[in-house]
Amino acid sequence: MAMKALEVYKLLPKTNCKECGFPTCLAFAMKLAAGGVEPERCPYLDEETKALLGGATRPPVRAVTVGVGARSFTVGEEIVMFRHEKTFYHRPGIMVCAADTSPVAEIRRTAEEVRDFVVHRVGQDLTLDGIALRCESGDPDRFAAAAMAVGECGDLPRLLIAADPAAHEAALRVCGQFLPLIHAATTENHAEMAALAKRYGCPLVVRAETQVKLADLAAQCTAAGAPAVLLDPAPRTMGDFVARASHLREHAVTRAAPDLGYPLYLDTVPLGTDAALAAGILRYAGVIAVPPLPHPSLLAALTLRQNIYTDPQKPIQVAPGIYPVNNPGRDAPVLLSVNFSLTYFTLLGYLEAAKVPCYLFVVDTAGLSVLTAVAGGKLDEEVVKKAIEATDLAGTVGHRTIVIPGFAAPLSGRIEEATGWTVRVGPRDAAEIGEFLETETEG
Amino acid sequence: MTERITEVAVGATRTEGGTRTRSYRIGGASALPGMGDAGSRPLVALEICDDPALWPAVVLEEVGDLAGDLAGWARAAEEWWNADLVRLVLTSTRRRGFDDPAAAGRAVEEVLAATGLPLVVEGSADPALDTEVFRRCGEAGEGERLLLGTAEAERYRSVAAAALAYGHAVVAQTPIDINLAKQLNILLRETGVSHDRIVIDPYTGALGYGFEYSYSVMERVRTAALAGDADLAMPMISAAQDSLTVKEVREAPDEERAGTAVEWEFYAAFAAAVAGAGIVCVRHPRTVGVLKEAVADLWEGAGWP
Amino acid sequence: LVDARPLDVPVSPSVRKYALTLAPPTLDDPSADLARLLEGVEHSGGPAATKIYAPLEMLRKIPVVLRHGRWRCTATVALVPGGYRLINVEEGETRARLYGAAVDLGTTTVVAYLWDLAGGRVLSTASNYNRQISCGEDILSRVNYAKKNGTGHLQELAAVSINTALTAAADAAGIDLEDIYEVTVAGNTVMTHLLLGIDPAYMIAEPYVPVVRRTFTTTAQRLGLAVAPTAGVFTFPAVSNFIGGDIVADILTSGMADQDEVSLLIDIGTNFEAVLGGRDWMLACAGAAGPALEGGEVLFGMRANPGAIERVRIDEATLEPAFETINRVPPVGICGSGLIDLLAGLIRACVIDRTGQIDTGIDHPRIRMGRHFPEYVVAWEEESGAGKDIVITGHDIRNLIMSKAAVLAACITLMDAAGIGHDDLANVFFSGAFGNYIEKENAVTIGLIPEVPLERVKNLGNGAITGANQALVSRERRKALDRIARTVTYIELNADPGFMDRYTQSCFLPHTDLALFPTVQRMLEECRLRKRWGQWQA
Ligand code: B12
Ligand code: SF4
Repeated sequence: MAMKALEVYKLLPKTNCKECGFPTCLAFAMKLAAGGVEPERCPYLDEETKALLGGATRPPVRAVTVGVGARSFTVGEEIVMFRHEKTFYHRPGIMVCAADTSPVAEIRRTAEEVRDFVVHRVGQDLTLDGIALRCESGDPDRFAAAAMAVGECGDLPRLLIAADPAAHEAALRVCGQFLPLIHAATTENHAEMAALAKRYGCPLVVRAETQVKLADLAAQCTAAGAPAVLLDPAPRTMGDFVARASHLREHAVTRAAPDLGYPLYLDTVPLGTDAALAAGILRYAGVIAVPPLPHPSLLAALTLRQNIYTDPQKPIQVAPGIYPVNNPGRDAPVLLSVNFSLTYFTLLGYLEAAKVPCYLFVVDTAGLSVLTAVAGGKLDEEVVKKAIEATDLAGTVGHRTIVIPGFAAPLSGRIEEATGWTVRVGPRDAAEIGEFLETETEG
Repeated sequence: MTERITEVAVGATRTEGGTRTRSYRIGGASALPGMGDAGSRPLVALEICDDPALWPAVVLEEVGDLAGDLAGWARAAEEWWNADLVRLVLTSTRRRGFDDPAAAGRAVEEVLAATGLPLVVEGSADPALDTEVFRRCGEAGEGERLLLGTAEAERYRSVAAAALAYGHAVVAQTPIDINLAKQLNILLRETGVSHDRIVIDPYTGALGYGFEYSYSVMERVRTAALAGDADLAMPMISAAQDSLTVKEVREAPDEERAGTAVEWEFYAAFAAAVAGAGIVCVRHPRTVGVLKEAVADLWEGAGWP
Repeated sequence: LVDARPLDVPVSPSVRKYALTLAPPTLDDPSADLARLLEGVEHSGGPAATKIYAPLEMLRKIPVVLRHGRWRCTATVALVPGGYRLINVEEGETRARLYGAAVDLGTTTVVAYLWDLAGGRVLSTASNYNRQISCGEDILSRVNYAKKNGTGHLQELAAVSINTALTAAADAAGIDLEDIYEVTVAGNTVMTHLLLGIDPAYMIAEPYVPVVRRTFTTTAQRLGLAVAPTAGVFTFPAVSNFIGGDIVADILTSGMADQDEVSLLIDIGTNFEAVLGGRDWMLACAGAAGPALEGGEVLFGMRANPGAIERVRIDEATLEPAFETINRVPPVGICGSGLIDLLAGLIRACVIDRTGQIDTGIDHPRIRMGRHFPEYVVAWEEESGAGKDIVITGHDIRNLIMSKAAVLAACITLMDAAGIGHDDLANVFFSGAFGNYIEKENAVTIGLIPEVPLERVKNLGNGAITGANQALVSRERRKALDRIARTVTYIELNADPGFMDRYTQSCFLPHTDLALFPTVQRMLEECRLRKRWGQWQA
C-alpha cells in the first residue's frame, strides 16, 4: 500500500531547507507519496529511509527496447493495472508477419509497406512498428534469405519467429546488427537461445504455459546473459491471453514473487486477429505480431492504441488560430472555441460532417474545455478581444459576426461590448452544430 | 475485490409473464473480465429506429428497404444477424415539432410483435414530451421487462415513473463522469427505483473522439463497485452512437466503407466489454456476428492451465 | 467586522517607553549624549545600550531634548528584527502616551483598533471602506490597474484608508496620532504588496510568485501613515500568493498552530481559503467559490443589509416557511445565511433532490414554474417589501450548490492529502464576516463544511483584526508568525488532478459519498420516510 503523505513526512528532516526544490518537507512528502519524484532529491535521507521510500527501485515492469535507430521502440516500464490510476507509458509495438516460404519480392514489399504506412490523426502520426519473419520452411538458409530480403528496409525493427535456434543463428548472422526481437526460448532450447541473445545483444522472448515456467525461463536466460526478456504466456485463445496477461500485470505491479516483471508478447495469427489485437492493446501486450491487415482494421486498431495510451491527466492542446473548414469564403460563419484538443477535434468532426464552409476560431484557454475555461475565468471577453486582434480575424472575413459555444452563453453580452462584433449563441452540444449553421445561414 | 454486481432482469418469457422467446439476467460479476468471475456474458444489441432520416447512411445502404419496415428490421435483427437484443431508438421523437406519443407506443408494440428478443427502448429526450412518451412505451411493453431509457440527472422522474408503473428497468445516462453516475443512481433510488432495476450508461464517445474517457469511466465504475460502492454496483450498457458518422467512416473509399464502419463499432464495443459493459449496442448489422464471437472467446478464457 | 475576540494573551508590546532621569555630563563623565541616554534605558530595565540602534533623526533631536528637559526624558525603544531601535525621545515623563494600532487591511473594508500599550487596553475602534475600490472591485482588477498605472496611486489609497480609520479612532479616544508608535497590518498578499508599494503583477500569472512572504517592518513615514514618523509598521507574513497575512492572522487567532490535534480553518468570501493542520504541519489552499454564498448571482440574493432574510425554517409537512429579516423589516431579499437555511430546509422537506432540482410534481402554491426555471416562493408579494414575490429558483440553487461544492472540495482535498477523516477534526474554525452569521447545523446539512459535532464548529469573528491585535500587544505572538507562515504548505488546486472529482462529488447535498455525512444521511432518510408515510396516508 503506497505510503500516505503524512507517513512519508514523518521520515523527513522537517527543516524545510528547500534543497529538494520544494518549499517545505511536507510538499516534498506529498509529491513522493504521489510517486512524482525520487527520494534522492533530498540530500539528508539515510540509505534505509531512501529504500523505504522506494527510491531508485526498478519499475514493476522492466523496459525493453526493440530495434535500433529512429524506428526502434521501447515497451514495458509500466506501473499500473488501469490507465486511470496514473497512465500507460509505452504503447505496444505492432509487427506485421511475413513467412519465409513467401517469395522474397513479396517479403520485401510487405516490409516496405510496413515501413511507409502512416495515418495522420489528431496531430499525431500513427505508424506500424516492425516486420515479423516467421520460419515456416524449417530451413535456416531460407529463413536467413528472408531476413536478407528485409535488409534494404533500413532500421525497421525486426521480430524473428522460429522454434529452431539454428534458424535464428542463420538469420542473426544477416540482420543481428538491427537488434531484432527473437522468439522464443522454451524449456527445451533456452540455453542456445540465451547464448544467441547474449552474443547479438538482442531482446529474447521466453515462452511457456505456466507462470512458474515463465519465471524460471526468464531467470535462467537473464542469468545466461540475455540482455532483455519478454514473456509469451502461450495462450490457446484470445480469452486465455486476456486472463493470463491480466494476472501477469497484477503480479508485476504488486511486485509479487516469483519475478515476472517483464513486458508481454502476443501473436494474434493463431487466435483470430481483430479481437486478439484489440485485447492485446487493452490488456498489457508490449509486442503484438499480426498478419497483414486490411486498411479498416489497421485504422481502427491504431486509433484504439492512440486512445488507450494517451495520458488521462494531461489535456492535450492545439495551437490557437483560425482554422478554415470545408474551404470557406470571406462570408463564411466564424465559430469560436477553445484549444483543448478533445473539444477541437470533436467540433471539427461535426463541422466536416455538416459540410458547411466555416472558420473554426480557436482561442488560447490553456487547454481547458469550454465550461471549465468559462468557470475558471480563462475564457472571457478580454481573451476573445486579444485573439481577434492577434489573428487579424477582421482581415480574414468580410462580416463581423461570431458564433460562440452554448456553454459560453453568459459571456455573449460582454464579448459584444468588448469586441464590437455581433455574437450569436450556438448550441451547447457540437452534434447540433450542422442544423444550427444551416438554419443560421438561411436566416 | 469482494463485492458482486447486482443482477438486472431484461426480457420476460411466457413463464415470466411476458412473450419473449428468451430472457436474460445481466450483471453478477465479482471481477473485471479476465480477472475472475466477470458475471454473465455481455449481450450484443442491434439498434433499429422508427425514423431513418437521422440514421447513418452506411447502415441504410446495408439494410436497404428494411429501414422503412420497423417489424421487418426487428425480425431480421433476430433471424438474419443473430443479435441478443433489439434496441429500438425512437428517433421520430427527436424531430422538431414531434407531438404524437401514441406513435411511440405503437412502435414498441410493433417491434415486440415482430421479434422474440428482449427489447431496449431509447425514448424522447425532451422534458415536455417525456412523461407521455415513456408512459406509452412502458404501457405497450408491460410485463415484458423492457430496458427503458434514458434517465439523466436533469430529467429522470418521467422514465422512473414509467418503469415503476409497468415493471421495467431503467437506463441511467451521465456524461462520462463516475461521480455524476453515482449521483443519478442515488436520485433514482430515492424516487423508488431499486438497484436491480438500474443499468448505468456512462455515455460512450466514438473511437478516436473521446472513447478513452468512456473506457476509463467504465473501468472506474466497475472497480469502485467491486471495492464496495453499492451505488455503482450495477451492470453497464455501452453504445458509441456517433461511431458511424465519424470522418474515417464517411471518407472511407466506397469498397472499404462498410468494413471501416464494422471495425469502428467493433473496436469500441469489444473494448467496452473488456471494461465490464454488460450490453454493447451497435448499428451496423455485420458488426453483431464478429462481436458475439469475440465476446464468447473472451468469456471462455480459462487463464493458466 | 469589528467584533474581535477578547485577548487572552499576556500583554508584552514590542515598543516600550523608559522614563529616565539622567545625570548631566561633567568633566569627569563627558560621555556622549546618546551613550548616556541608551545606558539610562539599559539601567531602567531596557535592552543593552549596544543593541539599540539610533537613527539620524534621533541624534538630531537628543541634544536639545535632554538639555531642555533638564536631563529628564522619556525614550521610546522598539523591538525590531535583528535588535532594537530608538524611535523617539521626549522631554519629561510621557510613559502614559504610548499607543499602538492594529489594522485589518481588507480588500473592501479597513478595520483599526487603537491600543493604550502602556495600560494594555483598547481605547477605540474604527472601520471604513478601502479607497482602492475606485481602482477595482476585487484583487484581480486592482492588480490589472497597477499593471497599467503603476503602484503609486494604489499605495496612497491604502495609506489614506488606514489613516482615515486611525484618525477616527484617535479622535474617539482623544489622543494624538503622533503618539502612536507601532502599527501592525494584517492583509492578504496583494493588499500587503500594494501598501508597501511593491508591484503584485507576477502573483496572478503562473507560477504565481509573490515578491515577499516574510514579515516586513518599515517606518510609518515611508508608507505615508499619519502616526509617529519613526513608528514601526509591521506587516504580516504570507504563505503564498493567495494565502496572505489575513489568513496567517486567522491561524494565530484560532490557536490551531499551538495545538497537537488537527483543526480546519475556513475563510469564506467570493474567494475562499482553507487551512488544515496543527503544531507540526499545516496545509492550505485557496479557490474561487463565486459570489452565490454572499447572495451574488442569486435572483433575490443580497448582502446582509436591513430587509435581508437571514433565518429560514421550512415546515416539512406544510412546506410553509418561517423567516426572520435583518432589523425585522419586511423582506426585500435573502442574504448568505438565509440562503443556506433555505437550501437545508428545502432538502429536508424533500422539495428539492440532492442535486438541487425542485420537484415540480409537488402540487403546492409555493412551488411553481418561473420564467425560465422552477421556483419556490419564500415570501408573497403582500408580505414582502420588494413589491413582488420573493423566490428562490432552480438556477439560484444550482449556483449555491456549485459555490458550496468548491469550498467542501477544497476541505476534502486538504484532508485527503493529509489522510485525515472528518472524525479527526478537533475544531472547524470559521473566519471572515460570512462565517459569523451562518447556522452551523445547516452548514453541515448542505455539505458546506465536513460533518463534525456542532460544538466543534467555532466562530473566530474577524480573525485578521484579532491576529493583528495579538501581534501588536504580545512579542511572543508576533514571533510565532514567521514560524506559522513557514510551516504552512500551499496546495495549488488547479494543479491537483483529483480536485475535479472532489468538486463534482461535492455538487450534491451533502456529498456523493454518503458515508462522509452519517448523521445528515440518517436525518435525510428519516425526512424521506416521513414524507412517503405522509403521502401514503393522504
Ligand atoms: C476535466 C474537467 C476539469 C479539469 C480541466 C480539464 C479541461 N481540459 O478542461 C480541471 C480539473 C482543470 C477542471 C477545473 C475546474 N473546473 Co472543471 N470540469 C471538468 C469536466 C469533468 C470535463 C470537462 C471536459 O473535458 N469537457 C469535454 C469538452 C469536449 O467539452 P467542451 O469543451 O465544453 O466542448 C463541447 C461543447 O462546449 C461544444 N462546443 C465546443 N466549442 C464550441 C463552439 C461552438 C461555436 C459551438 C456551437 C459548440 C461548441 O462541443 C463540445 C462537444 O459537445 C467537467 C464536467 C463534465 N463532465 O463536463 C467539469 C466542469 C466543466 N468544471 C467545472 C468547474 C466549476 C471547474 C472549476 C471552476 C472548479 C473550481 N471551483 O475550482 C475549475 C476551474 C479551472 C480553473 N483553472 O480555474 C464545472 C463547470 C460548471 C459551470 N456551469 O460553470 C463542471 C461542469 C463540473 C461540474 N460538476 O459542475 N475541470
Ligand atoms: S531537501 Fe529534504 S530537508 Fe530540505 S526541504 Fe526538501 S525534504 Fe525537507
